[in-house]
Amino acid sequence: MIRLNDVTKIYKGETRAIDGVSLNIEKGEFVFLVGESGSGKSTMLRLFTAEEPVTAGQVHVAGKDLSRINSWRVPYLRRNIGSVFQDFKLLPQKTVYENVAFALEVIGRPKNIVTTQVPAILELVGLSHKQQSFPDELSGGEQQRVSIARAFVNRPLILLADEPTGNLDPNTAQEIMRLLDRINRTGTTVVMATHDQTIVDQMRRRVVALRSGQVVRDEQQGVYG
Amino acid sequence: MRGFVNRAGYFARETWINVRRNLTLTVAAILTVAVGVMLVGLGLMARYASANALGRWQGGVQFEIFLEPNIAGGQIDALGQELRNHPDIERIQFITQDQAFNLLEDMLSDEPELLAEISVESLPPSYRVVPRDAEGELIESLAAQFRQRPGVYSVETGRQQVDAIREWFNSFRWIVLLMSIVLAAASAMLIFNMIRVAMFARRREIEVMKLVGATNSFIRLPFILEGMLHGLAGGLVGAAAAAVLRNHVEELFGRSEILAFFRSFTVTSGQFTTATLATIFMGVIVGALGSAFAAGRFLDV
Repeated sequence: MIRLNDVTKIYKGETRAIDGVSLNIEKGEFVFLVGESGSGKSTMLRLFTAEEPVTAGQVHVAGKDLSRINSWRVPYLRRNIGSVFQDFKLLPQKTVYENVAFALEVIGRPKNIVTTQVPAILELVGLSHKQQSFPDELSGGEQQRVSIARAFVNRPLILLADEPTGNLDPNTAQEIMRLLDRINRTGTTVVMATHDQTIVDQMRRRVVALRSGQVVRDEQQGVYG
Repeated sequence: MRGFVNRAGYFARETWINVRRNLTLTVAAILTVAVGVMLVGLGLMARYASANALGRWQGGVQFEIFLEPNIAGGQIDALGQELRNHPDIERIQFITQDQAFNLLEDMLSDEPELLAEISVESLPPSYRVVPRDAEGELIESLAAQFRQRPGVYSVETGRQQVDAIREWFNSFRWIVLLMSIVLAAASAMLIFNMIRVAMFARRREIEVMKLVGATNSFIRLPFILEGMLHGLAGGLVGAAAAAVLRNHVEELFGRSEILAFFRSFTVTSGQFTTATLATIFMGVIVGALGSAFAAGRFLDV
């Protein structure tokens, strides 16, 4: 599903954010990217969504070679990838329902799809009763669930999560992990960058550790370190 | 089809949100566009008007052969015969000394003491000549042929006057064109900046849209539509202002004796429609250009 072949990413000609990484993530895997701040976790996620071009090597995502992809095809690639962030990136002037519906509307999905999919996904994340609330009326955990609903409403092949529990207390973080696990069980590939040792140790999934842009450890059913 | 309707609804809603958010800027942009395109419209109408007026003069242009006041009757007839038989001349009209005096009487009706100095006998009779072809060169050559004839006092053609007026209108047109280009550029830049502000205000939404895979054109379209809407509104206001000004000016020409000369400077309703449509179209183009540039440049907010 995601294949990196000797990938290097250099920012502005000096910072070597990713340094000769080769990696293969299969369909349906759940992968933790761990490492200190600045080890290259976020950069790697941005390579997967073609937000950043690679400096050298090849990145294949969902069958597309991103080093050769036409810029006009990038949006279509992103429809196969859901993204979740530490700061949620919800739109404050839109309700929960509208925030999720927005993701379908802006890729031109017909109205009947929107009106059936959005309630279904809000049901899945357990927020059916908060459809008409605004983000600032929700707790952090609820906001993150909205953001996961938005990322998953289009049933992407891949879900990328950048520190999704970074702003949450341990119990809420557990909830979010249960949700991501459920999404993973539907066959969706999940790649999650995190600092959260407890979660990684508890889940016992594949762990890829990065240091200074290089893969220093890659274990199935691994621990934080 | 249903998808298209959905999208049309989305674009209409988003465009309206943008317009409402920046109301003062919107009004400023619309007014600038309006003044700019109004000048374009007026320039265009002035062009039509001058072409119409000059065409009329040139089409029916005559030149006048003034004869010596004491010319013998035989000479007058001989000259008349020659003019009538000339292949390049359409028709002629003889103005007697009495008729010339009547014309002068009309012209000098306000100054009877000046008129009292002039006697009928001192005025030259004349032939008004309409050439077959309103070609300036031809008129000049005809005038030259008859200027040397015995009994001819002088030959007057309208060519210099026509040329002077044409020149005056040309420079007027250039000034208007230049001003409207400057104003069109200013309006485009204003709209460019408005769209930049609008996009900055909505950068979070744009970020999310890019994240979930909205295409660039989908993200840009509401902003471009917004710019075109401003342009259209400006165009409509400008066209209306040009129409009002045109009526005002025509009325002024009609009323004022000093400006009577300009009465022949009118535009037909067809030309007026063309100028109005061009004015509105120009507004839309200005809006589209300004916003398309902005939407193209500031997508990476």
